[in-house]
Amino acid sequence: MYGGGNTFEGVKTDSVATEDPVLLAEFEARIARGEKIEPSDWMPQLYRKQLIRMIEQHAHSEIIGALPEGTWITRAPGFKRKMALMAKVQDEVGHGQLLYSAAETLGKSREQMIDDLISGKSKYSNIFNYPTFTWADCCFISWLVDAGAIVNQLANAKGSYGPYCRALERICAEESFHLKYGHHCVIYLAAGTQKQRQLFQEALNRWWPPMMHFFGPSDKISTHTEVLMRWKVKMGTNDEMRNQFLDMYVPKIWELGFTIPDPKLKKNTGTGLWEYTEPDWEEFKRVINGGGPCNQERLEVRRIAEERGKWVREALKSAKTTYVTPLA
Amino acid sequence: MNEGALKELLYKMADDLLILGHRNSEWTGMGPLLEEDIAFSSMAQDKVGQSLALYNILHALGEQAPDTVAFTRHAAQFHNCILVELPNQEYDFSLIRHFLFDTADSLRWEMLTKSTYEPLSLLAKKIKGELRYHTLHANTWMKQLGTATQESISRLQQSLQVVMPYALGIFEPSPNESILLTEGIFEGESALQAKWKTRVEEIVSGTKLHLPDWKTVTPVFGGRLGKHSEHLEPMLNEMSEVFRMDPTAEW
Amino acid sequence: MNSLDPRVSRLPEIGKPGVILPKIPLDQFASFEVFVQPREGKPFQHEGIVHAPNIDMAYIFAKENFTRRFTCTSLYVAETRNVYVSSTTDGERNAYDLVADVSTSGVNDEYEIFHLVKRGKQHIAVGTVMAGSPEEAMSTARKMFNTKLVYNIWAVKRSNIRLTTPEELDLWTTLPEKRFRDAGDYKGGDKLKDFLDKQKLTS
Repeated sequence: MYGGGNTFEGVKTDSVATEDPVLLAEFEARIARGEKIEPSDWMPQLYRKQLIRMIEQHAHSEIIGALPEGTWITRAPGFKRKMALMAKVQDEVGHGQLLYSAAETLGKSREQMIDDLISGKSKYSNIFNYPTFTWADCCFISWLVDAGAIVNQLANAKGSYGPYCRALERICAEESFHLKYGHHCVIYLAAGTQKQRQLFQEALNRWWPPMMHFFGPSDKISTHTEVLMRWKVKMGTNDEMRNQFLDMYVPKIWELGFTIPDPKLKKNTGTGLWEYTEPDWEEFKRVINGGGPCNQERLEVRRIAEERGKWVREALKSAKTTYVTPLA
Repeated sequence: MNEGALKELLYKMADDLLILGHRNSEWTGMGPLLEEDIAFSSMAQDKVGQSLALYNILHALGEQAPDTVAFTRHAAQFHNCILVELPNQEYDFSLIRHFLFDTADSLRWEMLTKSTYEPLSLLAKKIKGELRYHTLHANTWMKQLGTATQESISRLQQSLQVVMPYALGIFEPSPNESILLTEGIFEGESALQAKWKTRVEEIVSGTKLHLPDWKTVTPVFGGRLGKHSEHLEPMLNEMSEVFRMDPTAEW
Repeated sequence: MNSLDPRVSRLPEIGKPGVILPKIPLDQFASFEVFVQPREGKPFQHEGIVHAPNIDMAYIFAKENFTRRFTCTSLYVAETRNVYVSSTTDGERNAYDLVADVSTSGVNDEYEIFHLVKRGKQHIAVGTVMAGSPEEAMSTARKMFNTKLVYNIWAVKRSNIRLTTPEELDLWTTLPEKRFRDAGDYKGGDKLKDFLDKQKLTS
């Protein structure tokens, strides 16, 4: 799982001008040939910085994303759902592990990343700052938030950084189970009792606005994004991702007879693009900056987990082995 | 074959695994380190999966479907030992419980590979690898934390003290011991307990922990007869909150 | 904490929100590289890393972190510090061209050799060489395995690897049956079709 709409730091593009022109040309030629960048390669500072930021945010989104669905682990109805949800939430933690490792190859330790998460310095996907009131909320995440994540991840898997691509390849393979499982859950709610249908409709009403926020606001095409796209760090605009998601999933939601709470939502057959009510970007900003219903709880849970695990980690730490940057 | 005795054995094993699997799954996303979070969750999934396999055997013997059995019974109808229903507390407690229970569990299944009741012996052979991992995991952690810092050693020691009376409750004597033994289904709780003590002593001797004198520990019994602690009923209510909204609904 | 998640409501209160209590620096562990054999007869390939305090724990973590989902037959781990790494090349440049010649020492330690044949893909085991040092292992590997373009080479002394023992090979026997982790186990098609047919009848 992964929340899109990464926030990229406003580094001035002229910082690239201070890089060695020969090395920079070699680096860009390698990407233009379609070859991936490996950790031991020379790379511009801007590239390194933005990738750390992006992969780190992705990793945090997995770790924090385990919490809203985790809310229902102890209450999943029946063996099949219980075992699947346990495995799914476990996968999210596993994805976090893979992504932290990929980010570590760029020179930031996992510990530092987790500290930055807890202190609020690093961000994660906004959507996980909303609560899962019912089982149906949990099903919404399993199906549609994961679907949105896959749209992003498939695009990013074509990016230029080798370790990130390798992690994403693994993650995408695992996500196919999440998506099928989530859809399965929602089909059963749709085809179920009046109460079950109502549960999902209510969840859809609650989660649609954050889902539209998920891909981030329209990107302003600046020289900065242009560089990131040329370096294959950013693989598509937020609007493109959102449109792709709507294309694939709105028909599936309608098929099940549910109403999407946006009267303006329709596909413009002329342009092939979806039209919708402009999401409330003030709300998006408010939540990113800590004002969402669950921001505080999510970080608290993570902090308490770290504090409770501290004696374990301290006891295990051995002078015989020391941390080194992972290889690939 | 004495079906009553067999069902009693199957139910207590299944209930143990379901309840402990459930408890251990509560750690998912909150473990002491990422890698361990994942490992512990896998073992919880294995346990729930093994309980399902046992409820399926019971279903074939005429009992109700696994979901009905697991999600609609009340505490007094559960036959798990009290050890598995206790709340998780800190990681030292969960780890000690994991070590003591899984040591018994893997020995039990090892004995059952020779059971005359074929569904059990087949299942025992099938899950051997899962159990190998569970004990490898538990023993490695015991050795690590049981020899590390003053804090880790004293935490583990403290939990060992607290958990031991409940752990002995795993082996609560069954009225059917001799029937199961005569029919070659299972060698019995006291035989299992003897093997378990030897194995536990062996692992603990590789640490700086010490076991209490067995004679001074009073086992906490009752679970096998449906007499549980105050913790089971709320746990079951939580577990079946969605399922019980409409037990006829398909989720 | 008052939460919708009963697990969270049960958490103990520790410290203050947003404040990380003092801790030892770098309370994270060493890095270990994880290699998995997907099928009998296939070479081991690099899958990623785990952090662990020692190789025994690394093995335990690697088993669930990297082999819980897709079938495999074996697994091993080696500490990152014990992986000897060649230069990384690109385009038409072969990493073996940058490996220095080392004369034979006569020492017969086993080294496992891994190749990166495409940037962005995994390192894959190609075989074992006998050598007295990792440099010698690389040099020997150049004579034995330099048959096509390679971008990066790793050499790991076999005694630094935690292998899966023969009796541990049953660790994965139930893996193919854990269908609840498999997308193929969630076929909603029939249920969906029934539902849509019913909708048509009522409308």
